[in-house]
Formats: sequence, structure tokens, C-alpha cells
Amino acid sequence: MADLEVLSEDGGLRVKFLLKDVTYGFANGLRRAILIKVPKLAMEDVVIYENSSALFDEMLAHRLGMLPIKADTSLFVFRDECVCNEEGCPNCTAIFTLTKEGPCTVYSKDLQMQSTDAKIADPDIPIVELLEDQRVILECSAILGVGAQHAKWQAVNGLAYKNYPVIEVGECTLCGECIEACPEKILKIKDEKLMVTDVMECSLCKSCEEACEKGAIKVNYDPRAFIFKFESDGSMDVKEILRKALEVVEKEATTFANNLPKRR
Amino acid sequence: MIIPVRCFTCGSVIGSLYPKFMDMVESGMTPKEALDKLGVERYCCRRMLLSHIDLIREVGKY
Repeated sequence: MADLEVLSEDGGLRVKFLLKDVTYGFANGLRRAILIKVPKLAMEDVVIYENSSALFDEMLAHRLGMLPIKADTSLFVFRDECVCNEEGCPNCTAIFTLTKEGPCTVYSKDLQMQSTDAKIADPDIPIVELLEDQRVILECSAILGVGAQHAKWQAVNGLAYKNYPVIEVGECTLCGECIEACPEKILKIKDEKLMVTDVMECSLCKSCEEACEKGAIKVNYDPRAFIFKFESDGSMDVKEILRKALEVVEKEATTFANNLPKRR
Repeated sequence: MIIPVRCFTCGSVIGSLYPKFMDMVESGMTPKEALDKLGVERYCCRRMLLSHIDLIREVGKY
């Protein structure tokens, strides 16, 4: 039975967890679901009424598209599934407006929300710098999407997994060569014995194996245990992202099983 | 031109860190100390802040 254990979590933005008793296929399926199948809000349409800043309209729209938007995604529906026939309504769209005149720096907190359901996750992102007599007046709308469509709808970054390392020490002469060779500095001698301080930090590089003349140290890994880590861009809590990704995996696996021809 | 909103490589939000990074460096911290304090771990994000030259104020005049 698969088992998930959270090793560390940092303010809902970073997480490291251990997934035990699963196959490579499942681990990679989960990774892909986290990356491209978790819905979140991102800017889609930008209407620029005036822009006399140094940045082109396209550049400005692109910068707005990159902003992380924090929202309860269960309050929104995908625009192509919405009752408004893809015209944009409060069910599927969050609207922001921006009016600013220089000299000043326009930050993401200067975007005025037209609904209370969504807000910019990070208030201090510089969008553009305006000099004397330069103006930006625009309206932009954010809609729900998934990472498979565009990276702006990707809720995570730095997502990766590795196998759980297993380090075995045999006939050790305590020469200390492996301690020197280890780039992660996780080996040390304690009470006349070679010890591994934090096995999860091992990057499976096998430098210690190469350094050991006696061949006493062996680095291996557990093929059914995985250490995952990823970061959220601020649009959602990491646990929420993980829960949604697992729901996607479950849903797709069920659909697939149901579509298989029945065994006779 | 202006600090990008996100890291080109990994997509982590770094735009908001640039003003803080510049304040820290101007107050006498080394860039390494400043980046470590801001929690910028990966070298892709570190180079975004480290190698950026802010030119928008100069370009904006023309």
C-alpha cells in the first residue's frame, strides 16, 4: 500500500515528502500531474487603454501574465465549460484594473481587484517603471487553466524526485577517503565506525565508492521509494496542489480502467 | 531593461526580490550573503538577480 510522509514544509511554499511502496510509473505520473494538470488562475486577456511607458504593450502584457494569482480555484470554472459561452463572466473570470501615472514604480499591488475571490500572491513585483508624464491604464482578466496549455498556469517550480538512497558499509578501514570525496558531506567517523549523517541528502553520485580502495562502501537505492520536492509560486498551498494532483491521477486511472474491455 | 518577473529557467518568482537584493547590496552585504538571506537557492535564480542591469530609467527618457 502506497504511503506518503511529509518530511519538511516551509510556509506552504516548499515541500519535501517521501512516497513509499509505489512504482516508477506512479511516481512519474504524480510528477506530471503536479506539473501540468493542477488548475490555477493566470492573466489571459489584457486591454491596454494607454501605455506611454518604456515597455511595449506586448512586454507589459507578458509581465502581467507571469504574475502568480492566489485564489480558491473551486470558486471558478474553466471558461470553455462556463454557462457564459466563453464570453467571460464572474464565474470564470477575475478582472483587475491598473491606472498609474509617473514618476513611480508600478508594483503588482497597484492592480485593483474587481472581485474579492482572487488576489496577486506577491504584492511587491515591479511591473514597469514610469517617468514624468508616462501613464499606464489597462484592464486585464485572469482565467482558469492548466500547465499543459501554457507555463503561466503551472503552479509549481523546482519539481523533482529521486530514489531513496541506501548506503551500505562493509569492511571499512576508517581511512577517511570517502568522507573527503562526498560532495554532500554526509559521511563521518563516529565511535570508530563510518556513519551516514543524513542518508536523504545523498545524491547517488557514487564518489565514495570510487574513492574507497577496499570497495567497502556501496551506494544503492530503493526502487520503490521516492523523495519528492517542489515549490509553489504562491498561488496555492503546496498541500492543496498535491491533493489536487492526486485527485487527477485517481480520476484518470479510474477513467482508463472503465474504458478497458471487460475480461471474459 | 527591467527585472523579469520570473526566473527564465525554473519559473520561480524573483521580481519582488530585486529591490530587496539591491538594498542589501548597497548597505554593504556581499551578493552571496544577500542571496542566501533572501532564500534564493538554485543557481538559475541567483544569476537572474546577480547579472541583471536595470536600464529602464535610461531607456524611458526616449
